[in-house]
Amino acid sequence: MTQFQDIIKRTKAYLCLDCGKCTSVCPISILNENYTPRLLVNKVLRGDIDLLNDELLWSCISCGLCYERCESDVKFHEFIRDLRIEAYKIGKTGVYAHHGTMQSIMRMMTRPDLKQNRLDWLTKDLKVKIPKSEIRNPKSDSLTLYFVGCLPYFDSFFSNLQLNILQIAKSTIKILNHLGIEPVIMPNERCCGHDLLWTGDIENFKKLAQHNIAEINKTGAEKVLVSCPECYVTLKEYYPEYVAPLNAEIIHISELIAENLPELKNNGGTGFQPVKTHSQDGCANSSLKVTYQDPCRLGRFSNIYEQPRQIIDAMGFKLKEMDKNRKSAICCGTSGWMNCSTYSKQIQLARLKEAKNTGADLLITSCPKCQIHFKCAMSDKNIDKKTKIEIQDLTTLVANQLK
Amino acid sequence: MKKISHIQTALETKDIILKFPKITPITYTVRKINTSPCKDGCPIDTDVKAYLGLIATGKFEKALEIVKKDNPIPGICGRICVHPCETECTRDEIDQPLAICALKRFLADYELRHGSTPDLAGVKSTKKGKIAIIGSGPTGLTAANDLIRLGYKVTVFEELPVAGGMLYTGIPEYRLPRNIIKTEVNAIKELGVAIKTRTKIKSLSKLRKQGYDAIFIAVGAHKGLKLRVPGEDEFKGFLDCITFLRAVSLGKKVKIGKKVIVIGGGNAAIDSARTAFRLGSSVHIVYRRSRKEMPANAWEIEEAEREGIKIHYLASPLKILGENGKVVGMECIQNKLGKPDSSGRRRPVPIKGSEFNIETETIIPAISQEPDLSWLPAGHKLKISKWNSFEVDEDTLATNVKGIFAGGDCVTGPKTVIEAIAAGHKAAKSIDRYLQRKPLKEETKVNERVEFEVVIEPKEKKERVYMPHLSIKNRKNFKEVELGFKEKMAIEEAKRCLKCGFCAECSECMPDCEKSLVSLSIPEEPSGILLRVPLDQREFPLNGNPLQGKFSLAGGKKVTVIVEPITAQVRSELCRGCGDCEEICEYSAPKLQDQGNGVFISKIDEIGCKGCGICASVCPSGAITLNHFTNKYIETLIKHSTRL
Ligand SMILES: Cc1cc2nc3c(=O)[nH]c(=O)nc-3n(C[C@H](O)[C@H](O)[C@H](O)COP(=O)(O)OP(=O)(O)OC[C@H]3O[C@@H](n4cnc5c(N)ncnc54)[C@H](O)[C@@H]3O)c2cc1C
Ligand code: SF4
Ligand code: SF4
Ligand code: SF4
Ligand code: SF4
Ligand code: SF4
Repeated sequence: MTQFQDIIKRTKAYLCLDCGKCTSVCPISILNENYTPRLLVNKVLRGDIDLLNDELLWSCISCGLCYERCESDVKFHEFIRDLRIEAYKIGKTGVYAHHGTMQSIMRMMTRPDLKQNRLDWLTKDLKVKIPKSEIRNPKSDSLTLYFVGCLPYFDSFFSNLQLNILQIAKSTIKILNHLGIEPVIMPNERCCGHDLLWTGDIENFKKLAQHNIAEINKTGAEKVLVSCPECYVTLKEYYPEYVAPLNAEIIHISELIAENLPELKNNGGTGFQPVKTHSQDGCANSSLKVTYQDPCRLGRFSNIYEQPRQIIDAMGFKLKEMDKNRKSAICCGTSGWMNCSTYSKQIQLARLKEAKNTGADLLITSCPKCQIHFKCAMSDKNIDKKTKIEIQDLTTLVANQLK
Repeated sequence: MKKISHIQTALETKDIILKFPKITPITYTVRKINTSPCKDGCPIDTDVKAYLGLIATGKFEKALEIVKKDNPIPGICGRICVHPCETECTRDEIDQPLAICALKRFLADYELRHGSTPDLAGVKSTKKGKIAIIGSGPTGLTAANDLIRLGYKVTVFEELPVAGGMLYTGIPEYRLPRNIIKTEVNAIKELGVAIKTRTKIKSLSKLRKQGYDAIFIAVGAHKGLKLRVPGEDEFKGFLDCITFLRAVSLGKKVKIGKKVIVIGGGNAAIDSARTAFRLGSSVHIVYRRSRKEMPANAWEIEEAEREGIKIHYLASPLKILGENGKVVGMECIQNKLGKPDSSGRRRPVPIKGSEFNIETETIIPAISQEPDLSWLPAGHKLKISKWNSFEVDEDTLATNVKGIFAGGDCVTGPKTVIEAIAAGHKAAKSIDRYLQRKPLKEETKVNERVEFEVVIEPKEKKERVYMPHLSIKNRKNFKEVELGFKEKMAIEEAKRCLKCGFCAECSECMPDCEKSLVSLSIPEEPSGILLRVPLDQREFPLNGNPLQGKFSLAGGKKVTVIVEPITAQVRSELCRGCGDCEEICEYSAPKLQDQGNGVFISKIDEIGCKGCGICASVCPSGAITLNHFTNKYIETLIKHSTRL
């Protein structure tokens, strides 16, 4: 079908050998026998348009493991994303988690006249530049912009999980300040649109992208720093692909920290404190064992595997790798605030157990959503003690360990 | 730690507040089976169940609206109505009937406390026709209220200086404070009704000449009947109860003795006795039959006795005793009850040799009243019955003279306020038809009703909430004796209602139903009645066939009844096993079940689930759906309530 022709071409689905490696590795397929990526490709190749009505279209958690495994380079996760865009056009959606509140918030952000109060959390000790509405002197100095993302929203929406997720933003600024950078923060920033794109709402994704591109360009920033892997891949890959590139370099905070490790460690009396235990009792424990969760958007999607590990190492933690790490890391179980299912839960529990089995006391991740999803899974009253492990965000940890 | 609070109330983020007010879903279980006994017992078909239900949920304004639909004087009725509804109330079989009347009063008092906006809906003189109403009692007032709302010009003529009829000049102030009457009469005046007090009508043809197109006679029954006992016309010290009560009500100086006898057993007798007690006299009541036959309200008799009034049951006056032309006492005789008479009550038969005397200075006969027709000019053509009342067509209240209607006590003899209101409604309907030149007799279509048997499930006993009373020692005055319910008491009492026949017809649910599935009327062509029921009730009306059944209508027609169970369902592949549903369900219907591998999935017990939908509103993954309370609906709610 011509409708699918472009998709087949762009995602190289025509190269599929029907080998089923994708299905064998897919965490959803392992749990839900009805779902197989191989068959979905097969159906599209056969021109089965009824596929757009298939609920299974929304079951994929877009972790990208299949693509990683595929010998023929079929971008299955993007393939499914494009099919969702088609399905969305005819009124199909997945089952939204949290009653679609997140989707509503994202769509609300497309309104041009939206009044946000999104900088409430800034405290005096954090040094930032807040652009006024008029256009700043372009390129007057080498500006770094910090794109905060949806952290303020998550922080209050998931207040029940007691995440303190805003600490990620505060820590990022603290680290930047430490490196002598006073970032620009935009009071009129919008959601990057990652989840709208992945749930098929391309129109509203584009609106958000256009808005953010215009706003960022207005500031004249040369570097855009992000602390969220989803913002990272969206600004870096999807904006150029669907709308327009930014006139700036996109950097993830872990890249920046890793690059500046020598400076952070040695220069001018600054540096890391000797690693103490993270626990409340305060007794020193230099050999605290930790493990690391590769977020799929940072790892498989952006190839940033080593920088976080270097940082963990530099802080003096002992990193115990999970069996499935880096390219084969298992994801946090759900994506796009959609079809968060019993399978998601099982993936989360299995992954937490895996983390625990390394003997680590702390699970480090660098994606706010990994943290939310894992903590959500652990908040049930029926949770097995053996699956419970403390979780910390990498950036937060770095900021805490700074002298 | 209550994990799920943030979803139930409002979504607040740092930047956006999502108002999410209706997350607690509405009831959408409609079970409707026939009407309820209370409504049936009420002469004006008040939607009792509806207003009780609304009180129970704290919706007082809406409840009052329901009451006012049929009753223009709720504050009055709420105090002195004889409430036949309570006699019919099913709850009587369990403990005591609902305090339906007192709850009505509560609503009127609530409005009084919180101020009201007059409901002027439809009040515009849009129709041609001028109507004269003679008498401002409940009959006249109700007719005036209805007719002005229908668009006519209405004038009420009242002989006395105050409006209200027996409400004002019969029923004493301690039962019905005057400000209540004034407020409710004023509300009717505000609609545009002209009330001309101190205007006694003496000629109907004069009214006609003044341009009134229709006349409604509602002059009540004010003439006291004679005792027909020797000495009655010989000695001074007699005071007819109506004259007595009227004089007291109008603030005139009334002379009665230290010792008073009231003769009779109706409300007028009790009221006279309690009024005399308040004026400082010691009072005896003499009544022919036993307490059981006494027509006065039982609760009034009780209060009278508590106030120290001595009631001589089964006693009749034989002779008035006098000295120097003044009453000094009365000779009575004791009775026993014989065979029932024409009224069905057992006839009192005197017991020989049981005579006894009571000392007194004043005798107040309160045996019965008949209409006072002395105002009618000689040669009027109206038909009068042998009881001195107007003869009218029972259905239309039309007299034998065209354009003249009569109703209330002047037709029936002394009855009750609620019957007077019913007569007022009936008269207004007829007069409207008369002025619109429609045949007076409506082709009445009797509503066909589905005949189901009302089954009371065994209910726990719960005592009626009792009305607080003024203490006995504070009663030597005309302060209101019954003090009224507080909000909490009203809600508690209203919650006792069993909701006989289920649906209350309050129509609250209709705007809430997203799919407009609720319809209150039984379809003409009986394609079917939809009963949305919780599953445990499924088999209840449908003996044997849980989902569908055929039922006979009153006229012999058959109707299909379709029952749709409402329960929450979990799509197990979406359930995360978080337990939020289990935590929030009031009926403990959802239960997490271990799938054996440490995976928990919620299962909802269909019998326990009441279909309220609250679990669907908290489920993080949208795993729960209800028949029509879908996640889409919840999403729409969020979208609609988003204000930025
Ligand atoms: C003492 C007493 C206590 C009662 N207690 C209760 C009770 O607790 N509960 C209850 O439900 N009922 C009670 N009743 C009965 C109730 O008050 C009457 O049934 C009811 O008021 C009848 O209403 P009506 O409008 O037909 O007549 P009324 O209320 O009698 O009104 C008739 C009006 O017409 C006026 N009128 C008469 N002739 C003329 C004329 N020619 N021109 C102008 N105006 C004229 C009269 O002055 C009077 O105001 C009681 C009655 C009495 C006497
Ligand atoms: S992206 Fe992940 S969830 Fe989706 S098909 Fe591939 S492996 Fe399965
Ligand atoms: S895992 Fe994530 S998406 Fe799923 S319910 Fe928890 S917080 Fe929501
Ligand atoms: S229990 Fe309620 S519905 Fe039933 S008769 Fe009494 S007041 Fe009416
Ligand atoms: S049905 Fe929903 S609320 Fe209930 S346990 Fe499953 S995920 Fe949680
Ligand atoms: S399971 Fe409980 S909370 Fe859910 S609809 Fe049924 S009664 Fe309501």
